[in-house]
Amino acid sequence: MAMKSKLNIVISGVGGQGIVTLARIIGEAAVKNDVKVLIAETHGLSQRGGSVEVHVRLGNVYAPLVPKGEADVLLSMELIETARNIDYLNTNGLVISSDVILRPPIPGVKIPKKDEIIKEFEKNNIRYYLVPTKELAEKIGNYQSENMILLGSLYKYSEINKFIDMDSIKDSIKTMRNPEINLKAFELGSNL
Amino acid sequence: MNRLNSILKKPNSKVLLMGNEAIARGFIEAGGGFAAAYPGTPSTEIVETLAEVASYLGIHVEWSVNEKVALESAYGASISNVRALAAMKHVGLNVAADALASIAYTGVRAGLVIVSAEDPSMWSSQNEQDNRYYGMLAYVPVIDPSDPQEAKDLTKLAFELSEKLSHPILMLPTTRVSHTRSNVILGNITPPRTKGSFIKENNRFGLVPANSRNLRDKLINKWSIIKDSFEEFEPYNRIENKEKDKIAIISSGSSYQYAREVNEEVGNYRLIKISTPYPLPKKFILKGLEDVKKVLVVEELEPVVENQLKEIINEEGLSVKVDGKSYVGYAGEMTLERARKAIREFLGLPINQTAYKKLDIKLPLRPPSFCPGCPHRGTFYALKRAVNSLMLKPIYSGDIGCYSLGINSPYDEQDIILEMGGSIGVANGLAHVSENQVPIAIIGDSTFYHAGIPGLINAVYNKSPILVLVLDNRTTAMTGEQPDPSSGITATGEETKIIDIAKVAEGIGIEKVIVFDPFNIKESTNMLKEALSYVVKERKPAVAIAKKACALNAVRIANKIHIEIPIYQVLENKCTACGICYNAFACPAIFVKDDKKAWIEPSLCTGCGVCAETCPYDAIKPIKVIDKRWDSVWQ
Repeated sequence: MAMKSKLNIVISGVGGQGIVTLARIIGEAAVKNDVKVLIAETHGLSQRGGSVEVHVRLGNVYAPLVPKGEADVLLSMELIETARNIDYLNTNGLVISSDVILRPPIPGVKIPKKDEIIKEFEKNNIRYYLVPTKELAEKIGNYQSENMILLGSLYKYSEINKFIDMDSIKDSIKTMRNPEINLKAFELGSNL
Repeated sequence: MNRLNSILKKPNSKVLLMGNEAIARGFIEAGGGFAAAYPGTPSTEIVETLAEVASYLGIHVEWSVNEKVALESAYGASISNVRALAAMKHVGLNVAADALASIAYTGVRAGLVIVSAEDPSMWSSQNEQDNRYYGMLAYVPVIDPSDPQEAKDLTKLAFELSEKLSHPILMLPTTRVSHTRSNVILGNITPPRTKGSFIKENNRFGLVPANSRNLRDKLINKWSIIKDSFEEFEPYNRIENKEKDKIAIISSGSSYQYAREVNEEVGNYRLIKISTPYPLPKKFILKGLEDVKKVLVVEELEPVVENQLKEIINEEGLSVKVDGKSYVGYAGEMTLERARKAIREFLGLPINQTAYKKLDIKLPLRPPSFCPGCPHRGTFYALKRAVNSLMLKPIYSGDIGCYSLGINSPYDEQDIILEMGGSIGVANGLAHVSENQVPIAIIGDSTFYHAGIPGLINAVYNKSPILVLVLDNRTTAMTGEQPDPSSGITATGEETKIIDIAKVAEGIGIEKVIVFDPFNIKESTNMLKEALSYVVKERKPAVAIAKKACALNAVRIANKIHIEIPIYQVLENKCTACGICYNAFACPAIFVKDDKKAWIEPSLCTGCGVCAETCPYDAIKPIKVIDKRWDSVWQ
């Protein structure tokens, strides 16, 4: 089978969940593999607990943004944000999402239940993996490592492993603060 | 990972850099010795990166008080023969425009590059003005890189060009260049020149009318030399697929990357890539248009390249049809969908709608909000109580900063937001014409220093009955906690004087100045009532200062000096599910359980304890005894 020439990943979540760091680790690893990478971030207001999207493109790519309907993977740190960004997925796209739901701090806000969202995935024939990131992070005693758990799952379930080797990702994680815990989190996520 | 490492790596290293970091590296490669900026998304990381390496390189890097001062300072360095950079966001150039418009008259000595980061789609801005027009207005050539590699390379080139032409260069990356990370190959570092001397030449640098008239004539002549220097600009201006005739696409800045990707999809037409949107190099363009009958210009915002192209074609009497905005449109940033639709329509190709999925489920919006522990939450909460208890009709004249988020529910305390420092000037006008309404200007510390002080002087001088509420969190928070004159440290971490806002207000002549702690809701409410009553009764301006550190900084300090954050919890037996803490106070760390009782997420709580004050049932308590040093991290 011919190798895919490019991979489009949209990463979503809530400001402060470590999404920019997650994307940066992928980027560092891509550079080590001499693979072209584009990571588009939107800073500013989104840092303050709002919805955040980061677009990551690998391979034969020029434009930094992924169009609607063309993401191979939707990687998400929060389930409401996963649902919000489903329109980025291509028809055969894959969802890899944390099962965490965070209530937006809006007076009287109504939020969907986990089951309702999952039912919608199934109704729409969406391929998905839910990762209990919070539970797993608590298990290794660091709730700030949820992003690395999710990165592990991305490596396991998606075709990113055809662009980037695992050692490069681990080398990038080693440059983070708390490398041991973050490596442990990555391994936990990739061995689910 | 470490920014410092990547930015200083050896020539030919392949690294991942954000566009803004790449510009910083370009400055270092050019041997720049002076950099100044006022923070503003998406430009902030340029000088932030340089500040981190300033002492290592021995260069001067500063957060200036505003963009005008940043540009004037960079100009001062340049005319003393030190290569200098001034960085700002696009609307910052409005503030610096007064300087810019005259700098072209005097020209510069060492290279002077002004980086103004554009924000099409207004991801964090109040407008999406196209600053290429400033190039036209001020006779300053414009360069717009299309990706991080070009951002680095063109920064270096811009310094060389600026110096060769003795003229400032305006560089305009957009959000998708400044905030895109990509592979960058590093070049050689030139040792910085950090000291120079100013050689007097007052018929050039003293813009009295007699000199200016002379310099204006010189500038017009110089412009033709500048134009010529853009003719040879390979590979940043280039013609791709030159063997193809009849049809061409011209694209400039970050739009080029979208146009290129779509061009590969539709079969590689001739693509003219431009990095010099103003002045558009005429001979190069004419070469690109050989054997071409129709052209599509793919550019963001205004038809700057398109109009110049039409002018060139008109002057040469060519029969080439030019299209651009009629296919591409004006508003918002470029996307692949938009470039695809424009290019396919122009070529007469069918537009295939990409299929995508949509869930049948109602999702709540998630606008950005004040962080847990943000002192602004307490200030807005207390202000509303003060206004209500005095039964006033307030007009909340807002400003630019994190506190702009006070526009959202449940606060609804930003009725007007215009531009940096605008809160006080607008309140001044409101005060003199409104009847029975009380204008309250709400402004942060950094914005106060930036452009608030003249407005305050005006309010005293013109006897405007307004309350000016300064939210002093000791930092420029919105852009990522850059130090400002309230912080006591400079961009490079050196200790410096704190410019005390209360003293500034007193010095200006404000007779009623109060300073309160927004973590103490009761005291804050009472003090705000006192200040508001004064404004209403005395018909004079008053200043109220809410003084408390940004929660992000406070938590950072606590972690650094190992102070445990005193996390709060809700006592199940006391909570009555009234909802005040999660609906009226609305801290993102407070969640609602199925029984409507409150629950505090320990991983989000920053221990500010203000929710405990707002709880009428005394149901919120710290989990452990609070460290004695806790208050000190919030000063």
